[in-house]
Amino acid sequence: MTIEVLDPTYDGDTSSFKYAAGLENLKGATVGIISNGKKGTFHFFNALEDLLTKKYKAGEVIRVIKKNYSAPAEEEIMKEVKKWDAAIAGVGD
Amino acid sequence: MPVSKSYNLDNYAAVQEFFHSHNWTDGLPVVPPTPEAVKDLLELSKISPEHLIGIEPVRSRAITAEKLAINAVMAGCLPEHFPLVCESFSAMLKEPFLLHGATASTGGCAVLVIINGPVRKQLGMNGTFNALGSSDRATTVIGRAIRLILCNLLDARPGDADRSTLGHPGKFSFCIAEDEENTNWLPLTEERDIPHGVSAVTVMAAGSPRQIMNEWTTSPEEILDTFVAEIKSCMRHYSIWPGNYAIVIPPQLRVHFEESRWSKRNIRRYVFEHARIKRKEWSDCGKTAVVGNKGEKEYTALTDENHLLVVAAGGPAGGFGAVIPPWFGTKSKAVTQPLGLCLDCGPE
Repeated sequence: MTIEVLDPTYDGDTSSFKYAAGLENLKGATVGIISNGKKGTFHFFNALEDLLTKKYKAGEVIRVIKKNYSAPAEEEIMKEVKKWDAAIAGVGD
Repeated sequence: MPVSKSYNLDNYAAVQEFFHSHNWTDGLPVVPPTPEAVKDLLELSKISPEHLIGIEPVRSRAITAEKLAINAVMAGCLPEHFPLVCESFSAMLKEPFLLHGATASTGGCAVLVIINGPVRKQLGMNGTFNALGSSDRATTVIGRAIRLILCNLLDARPGDADRSTLGHPGKFSFCIAEDEENTNWLPLTEERDIPHGVSAVTVMAAGSPRQIMNEWTTSPEEILDTFVAEIKSCMRHYSIWPGNYAIVIPPQLRVHFEESRWSKRNIRRYVFEHARIKRKEWSDCGKTAVVGNKGEKEYTALTDENHLLVVAAGGPAGGFGAVIPPWFGTKSKAVTQPLGLCLDCGPE
């Protein structure tokens, strides 16, 4: 005799979450970094900015810093994101 | 009947292997969540399967009673335990608790659930012997259910959404009942504005307990100096930021406070005034690099004396106590809420 068991995981509808279309390249693009603001990340994001502008020719790199690195990005940041061509979730420690 | 997806497996052992292979357990065996067991849990606790416990804010996940019930059955909960699981999780979903941060952080806290009110006795909870370590069936399975829910509904599995560097053993289960019977102190929840006789839960994003001992004085101040020293140690060695600290005081130390007519409020005031360090103290423990030019700046463990949760619990013998530090400052705040309204049952 078999045992029927139920799935304990979240199985809600996630269809509203979709990947954004990828960019062909970053030339002239506005790229935003949402930094979690931890001190140790600053050098890394500086280097990343350099890489994006010098090597990949991004038009502009914008860095915004969350007020609370353990909480989701604030509403103002999420409004700002909509103006960017690409966004990087800058989680670092 | 429950609507979740189901699987037919050959036998009990196959169930265990199936759940382990899908990473749906905490490493321990689980009670098979059969549709009948889940249905019983929901029906006997009078909670409908589709009842919305809350929405997890980061990923907009709607958390339903049915999913909590499946995990609660797995943890070993009986129907009478389930309302406490629901209430605890509902409290964790409140904004001040900052659930995603607390459960994803490298800081590795666990969710401490503290139970107060008549429900403790009704469910056979024991706030005395071994209070912080699986003292009884009810607190053990309720605490375990919380962890399984985090893993299975919010993906807070090690290395997945749970990025804890170390974590601590409280992640298996971290639920205690206050020993309200053996003290003349107000229960924690009454101190946090819950009416007398109402059962309630308090949830806190908590580090691991740090045990103290002082059997060599009857002075409340001296006893508290030992607790304060441990809090200051935590501020030096772990995090200097103020937040909800909990202190657990067993009877052998409690009696000295009670004989001296010290209430929890007196305790909170004393700890608030004394648990302070200067930034330069970081130099004593290898953190000179971050002292900077603020060496004389004073930091308090509590920004408000009410941020200290004073809990009466523990076995009768032993001059021990425990300090339970916050996950990380005030990022997450302890949340207290009463058990849902029951039309048939009033306070004792």
